[in-house]
Amino acid sequence: MTIYSRGETLLQVKGLSLYYDNKCILCDINFSIDDIIRPGMQQGQVVSIIGRSGIGKTQLFRTLSGLQKPDKGQILVAGSGLPWTLRPVHAGDMGVIFQNYYQFGWRTVEESLRLAAHRNKALKGMENDAIREYAAQFDLSDVLKRYPKQLSGGQQQRVSIIQQLLKGSDFLLLDEPFSGLDVCVLDKVVNLLLKVSLSHEFKTLIIVSHDIPTTVAISDTVFILGKKEGQEGSTIVRSIDLMERGLAWQPDVQEEKAFAETIKEIKNAL
Amino acid sequence: MFRPFEKISHTTALTLVTLQVIVFLSLWQSLPAGLIPSPLKIGEGLGGLITSSLLWDNVLVSLVLTLKALFFSVLITLIFSYLSVVPFFRPIAQFIVKCRYLTLTGLIFIFTLLTRDGSQLKLSLLVFGIVPFFTTSFMSVILQTNAQEFELCQTLGYSRWQCLYEVIIVGKADQVFDIVRQNFAIAWMMITMVEGLSMSEGGIGTILIKYNKYNDLVHVIALQTVIFCLGLFFDYLLKVLRNWFFPYTKL
Repeated sequence: MTIYSRGETLLQVKGLSLYYDNKCILCDINFSIDDIIRPGMQQGQVVSIIGRSGIGKTQLFRTLSGLQKPDKGQILVAGSGLPWTLRPVHAGDMGVIFQNYYQFGWRTVEESLRLAAHRNKALKGMENDAIREYAAQFDLSDVLKRYPKQLSGGQQQRVSIIQQLLKGSDFLLLDEPFSGLDVCVLDKVVNLLLKVSLSHEFKTLIIVSHDIPTTVAISDTVFILGKKEGQEGSTIVRSIDLMERGLAWQPDVQEEKAFAETIKEIKNAL
Repeated sequence: MFRPFEKISHTTALTLVTLQVIVFLSLWQSLPAGLIPSPLKIGEGLGGLITSSLLWDNVLVSLVLTLKALFFSVLITLIFSYLSVVPFFRPIAQFIVKCRYLTLTGLIFIFTLLTRDGSQLKLSLLVFGIVPFFTTSFMSVILQTNAQEFELCQTLGYSRWQCLYEVIIVGKADQVFDIVRQNFAIAWMMITMVEGLSMSEGGIGTILIKYNKYNDLVHVIALQTVIFCLGLFFDYLLKVLRNWFFPYTKL
């Protein structure tokens, strides 16, 4: 089993509830994400939130991103400086990749990326170099002058990812990133996300999805969003530490028996 | 060609329009002579008008007034429409939208008192007549803005004012052109009316009123044809300019 330990808390969700028309949609959600430390390695992590369609994943996604305020409870994220503190999340604290990879239709890819790079203080004066570097790395150099409508779905997704990477957030929230992708593209996207998660110690990818096998295969931790008996809205009904089970950081994890059992366990919990 | 949603080529469409115009004019020409002049007579009148400096001098006067009115109308529309996203200013924008139910005729006296001369009166009446229609169209564009545009902007860490700049001012700039294009006809329609209020400066409205006064229907229709063609030309020009300034609108 791979050796790892838990460090500081990167994100904490405390008693989060969300109501619509006095009806509880998300009820008393509590979970936290800690820094995962692997000796001699610098890498981030992938956390997934899995739930059935219509369970409130998108609402949770929006509240985590700071785009929607919860009616109760709070979401705290680690501040950028020292000493280590947690502060309430605001829109803009997390990089957000929407399900449809939305981009401004009036901006070329390069302009869109520049909009994001300008928000990253660490890139000041080097925005263009960073854009070129990322574009080359993600195979987008040829489309920098194009508008979103001129891009394929895969290219739009990569642009969305680069845009949020250029912005420099440690957190990257992805809403159904595997939805509607064909098998070949799916592999590329999975590798891309793993590459991103390995880029920095605090880089944390939070994937909200209902595609269980693909999501679990690249995750370190899984939170299951579901309904408890007698409860009106959804909450986190279970969390699974895949590192503890030896199912994290393995390229061929899907072939393992323990993986299949975990998938079965998740399906039963939904 | 007779099936719903059938796609036809540009050449076919052009041929179709040409044929329909020819058929319409032939039928009109074949009607027994009455009060309404025949197309040939209108054509003769049009030929006379086009070769006279009277027409072009007056067209120029009307065009200058229209462009001035459009400039001020767009400016006022943009200021109040942009500010309408700030709750404090929204009632003002909503009031402007409702002003389209007011008639200009009822306001002529008030505007005469408020302005210095005929030129100012015409301009202010035109601006007052156009702004509510421009604002209605642009407010509708703003209200229909995809929420994801603001959300993407916010997730990139931009403030609300910066989002207003990026999503509304920059993002909807192409639509301003479209609104001007759609509403240019309103300005063009009003100009003939307001020019009648101060005839000393001339303008196509002035000569139209004169021809009407003497029941010179040949020249009235000939002038209407010129006004119609100029309107079409500006519609085309604004379309070309929009595509040129905002290439992504063609995609």
